[in-house]
Amino acid sequence: MRKPGSGKWNKYLTAGLIMTGIALLLGILGLFWTPYSTTAMSASEKFDAPSLRHIFGTDNFGRDIFSRVMKGLSTTIVIGSLVVAFSASAGILLGALTGYFGGLVDEIVMRVTDAVNGFPSILLALVLISLLGNGRQNVILALGIVFIPSYVRIVRSEFIRLRDADYIGRARLMGVCRIRILFVHILPNIFSVFWVSVMIGFNNAILAESGMSYLGIGVQPPDASLGKMLSDAQGYLQNAPWYALAPGLTIVWVVLGFSLFSEGIRRRV
Amino acid sequence: MIKIENLSVAFDGPEVVKNVTLELKDGEILGVVGESGSGKSVTALTLMGLVADTAEITSGRIVFDDVVLREAGKPIDKALYRKYQGAEMSMVFQEPMTSLNPTVRVGRQVEEMLRLHTDFSNEKIREKVLETFEAVGLKDAETVYASYPHQLSGGMRQRVMIAMAVILHPDLVVCDEPTTALDVTIQNQIIELLRTINTKEQNSMLFITHDLNLARRICHRIAVMKDGRVVELGKTEDIFEHPEETYTRELIEAVPSRLKRRTSVFQGKYPAEEEECCPGRSEESLGEEEAVGGVEGQAFPPVVEVRDLSVFYQDGSNSLFSRKKRHAAVQGADFSIYRGESLGLVGESGCGKTTLSRAILGMNRDITGEIRHTTVRPQMIFQDPYSSLNPAKTIGWLLQEPLRAAAALDKSRAMSREDMEAAAYDMLRRVGMEETYFHRRPSQLSGGQRQRVSIGQALITNPGLVVADEPVSALDVTIQAQIMELMQKLQQEMQLSYLFISHDINVVYKMCDRIMVMKDGEIIEIGETQELFDNPKQEYTKKLLASH
Amino acid sequence: MNFFIKKFITLIMTLFLVSVGAFLAFQIIPGDVVTSILGTEATPEREEQLREELGLNDPPVVRYFSWAGGVLRGDLGRSYQYSKNMNEMMPVAELIGDKLPVTLWLAGLAMVLIVMVSIPLGVLWAKSGNRFLDAALGVVTQATMAVPSFFLGILVTFLFGVVLKWFAPGSYVSYRQDFGGFLGYLVFPALSIALPKIAMTARFLRNSMLTEMKADYVRTAYSKGCSRQRVMYGHVLRNAMMPVVTFLGMIIAEIVAGSIVVEQVFGLPGIGRLLISSINNRDFPVVEILILYITFVVIFVYFLVDILYRVIDPRISER
Repeated sequence: MRKPGSGKWNKYLTAGLIMTGIALLLGILGLFWTPYSTTAMSASEKFDAPSLRHIFGTDNFGRDIFSRVMKGLSTTIVIGSLVVAFSASAGILLGALTGYFGGLVDEIVMRVTDAVNGFPSILLALVLISLLGNGRQNVILALGIVFIPSYVRIVRSEFIRLRDADYIGRARLMGVCRIRILFVHILPNIFSVFWVSVMIGFNNAILAESGMSYLGIGVQPPDASLGKMLSDAQGYLQNAPWYALAPGLTIVWVVLGFSLFSEGIRRRV
Repeated sequence: MIKIENLSVAFDGPEVVKNVTLELKDGEILGVVGESGSGKSVTALTLMGLVADTAEITSGRIVFDDVVLREAGKPIDKALYRKYQGAEMSMVFQEPMTSLNPTVRVGRQVEEMLRLHTDFSNEKIREKVLETFEAVGLKDAETVYASYPHQLSGGMRQRVMIAMAVILHPDLVVCDEPTTALDVTIQNQIIELLRTINTKEQNSMLFITHDLNLARRICHRIAVMKDGRVVELGKTEDIFEHPEETYTRELIEAVPSRLKRRTSVFQGKYPAEEEECCPGRSEESLGEEEAVGGVEGQAFPPVVEVRDLSVFYQDGSNSLFSRKKRHAAVQGADFSIYRGESLGLVGESGCGKTTLSRAILGMNRDITGEIRHTTVRPQMIFQDPYSSLNPAKTIGWLLQEPLRAAAALDKSRAMSREDMEAAAYDMLRRVGMEETYFHRRPSQLSGGQRQRVSIGQALITNPGLVVADEPVSALDVTIQAQIMELMQKLQQEMQLSYLFISHDINVVYKMCDRIMVMKDGEIIEIGETQELFDNPKQEYTKKLLASH
Repeated sequence: MNFFIKKFITLIMTLFLVSVGAFLAFQIIPGDVVTSILGTEATPEREEQLREELGLNDPPVVRYFSWAGGVLRGDLGRSYQYSKNMNEMMPVAELIGDKLPVTLWLAGLAMVLIVMVSIPLGVLWAKSGNRFLDAALGVVTQATMAVPSFFLGILVTFLFGVVLKWFAPGSYVSYRQDFGGFLGYLVFPALSIALPKIAMTARFLRNSMLTEMKADYVRTAYSKGCSRQRVMYGHVLRNAMMPVVTFLGMIIAEIVAGSIVVEQVFGLPGIGRLLISSINNRDFPVVEILILYITFVVIFVYFLVDILYRVIDPRISER
């Protein structure tokens, strides 16, 4: 599905691919293997500064921070992907139907999405978590629900724009059935816009997840999480700044990688 | 005296203007005519000092009353230019809505000219602006002064632009397609206004247009441009009567005009007992038409009959607070389209042309009256070739889609995959395109090629009736002529009927057997083309036809 | 004016719907609160008595209106978590009243920083044709936007608190004690909230200005003999600011969210921290009121943005 004129490679794409590639690799690897056990404590190695042995240093219990960051990265990536998969597919379905058909359902869905969209997403997620309770599944569900409206909005506005395009009018005149118009005629044309919003959505999901675990809401031990590590590390800023910098910079690395990648895609189109 | 001497302009490499030399005498209107990409606009913008900074002058210079404004190899002297811009040279643009700042009152925008170039007092400035507004035919000058651009009509906005351009009595006024965005009757008024100003002020005007007929009406001399070069330059009469260059001749020939013979492919005869507004074909008009092949005289059946049709639309946003209002966009339409004929539909924007055509296609359901079709699924060809083909699909896929849709609706029309492909290849050939385009996407095609594919896509199911909404308006004149020829060829081959909508009277004259005139949602006149041109019954029709 | 009345009715209706939603979510769905107040060892008689006292035996509609009526009169209910004295629970109004100024000052300070820095920066950025500056600012904004606010808070603490020692982390003083010291401490959390938003807003304004620079009316202005300076400030800026106003409205909603997290980082006793601890302790009456309050702020800001938009864009006020 390469479109002519869109094959241009750019710096954003390269940088984004390298950064997200490394992060994904470490994250997926972290699901199965880490250099050290994430729970093995060692009183003699408390607060070791980064070295060849422990490249990110060790924490207050003498645990290897790099291993723990890898584990946290896995959690973050898994949660981020599931959240995006959930909210993006719901968003496509709702956005396509409301955008193309309009009417009362559209009106209601739009009022709700407008209200939710104007609202800080982390706040809504907190409200949902307070009702659902803590835990990995509930975080995914809460964030998944919270991010649906952002996709609905984008998909819907694209469908509205294309609904009135001349070529869709012609497809209707040919007697092409509605479902085929929606998913065969219109959908391929919104992918470029949609991919960008999926990547931004992935970033938002990661930021929201780590923010929530920083606040102590959401993912709970024994699940590792970058946000929780940061909040633990905050008290040792004075004598072990690497403890906080490692998980923090990891989040920045992932988010920056994805936003460069999405910028690269946006510029390519 | 303004001179463009041997000017060449390049953007990052290739030259888009090549060795252009033009001279403007006082009181003269010089037309620059060419198709898109001919370099006419870049020439004008370079003269005005408005061309983008990335443009490079590779040769020549621009001289304004013995002062060299721009020279090859030297960077633009913006400070020098600013003294001339507005005061000595000014410009009227194509699109008056976007050319005015939407958030500033128009009075203030015109005032800015005086504030920049004079040291008049505030009262004097205001007085002068009001005076100029009146001079360009803006009646309620005070109200216009305090209006924002969106509160004015298109014609008024263009008058404001003209007022702005002439308020300091510059020696040169550059008009870049000043009437293209306007309705025909307004076009006339603006052309008259420009002519009057030119006569009174004895200034020079550079008139840029793609429209040869328009240039003929206003310009003293015409320069024809092609691919960045001036191919021919001469007095207007000479250019039209004795064109020396082949391209000029092609261009003149491609432009449909009433002075040329009409070609018609309609082979039938209209029923004698038609509605009173459309009298039978008169003997004289028959003689002037050239029927292409076939035997005349047989009465053809109608493909669609419209009886007392009104079409409604609802206005007001869908809101909790305002109830929708129902308006009739078309009222009491009553006509038929016969097999094999082209029926022209003309009228100004907003007259209901598009609404009517959509109702016939069943795209507008809120109607009263009756539309009786004898064909199934009439198709449509749109104006904009860039939005009428799905950019995500290949040409082959696009040509087969109507067949797939037809098969899905009616099992008896199902075809094998090979048959469909063969039909698509066949159609590609018939619209005059090579087979290699089958696997390409619309973005790889030119505007004319896209329109060919659109036509192919509309005709592949042999629909009988095709509504063509301004099908050639977005195309250059030479391409325009080719597409019209193609449409007529296919019409003959497939016994098609066209409902042909256009704002261009000359195009309609060339393509249509009968013409229907709409005004404010009503059909005010309908008649055979020659008859209608020779004896228009309505005042409005006369005005509309006189505009070219 | 017709428009304002319409908008106002919408505002009221939205608030009503949100209050119904909040009521359903926090008072109906969680079920019986009696056990969470009394613990599991209370006698059934005591439970029934409390249920009667709290009005839990009434039908939901009655409960909603008595609750909403209370809220309108300033009776925001009582916390399950905090007690005022031995036999009385803390009224939510008192709980919030004490913490609200902290959050409001924090958000206000952040907003001031954003507007004061981002708008000149955006204009400057759009004006400079300098490629190097362009690229540098592009990288900086891209990077700033990738830093989550809590990590930025930690970085600010580390840089200004630990390395530069401009302030002592955790040395918050109440606005009642020392207002100057309070503001001085607040600057750093406000900076943590504002920094990414400054980057976003400046970039947005710059893009908006560059888009406007391509508009036809800009060419018209040049054709009159306007200098670049005059075109920028006299014609482009106002048109380019319009989308920025809406954008800033959205930013305010995000500042509110950002303050919740940043209060945690800097140990500020604002409503954000109250919200987090209430969620963790399932103190629903407090959560409910805070949500309602934040919704009100967000909706009201959008209402103001709508009005402001009408003031600066003549095209809308006509319709």
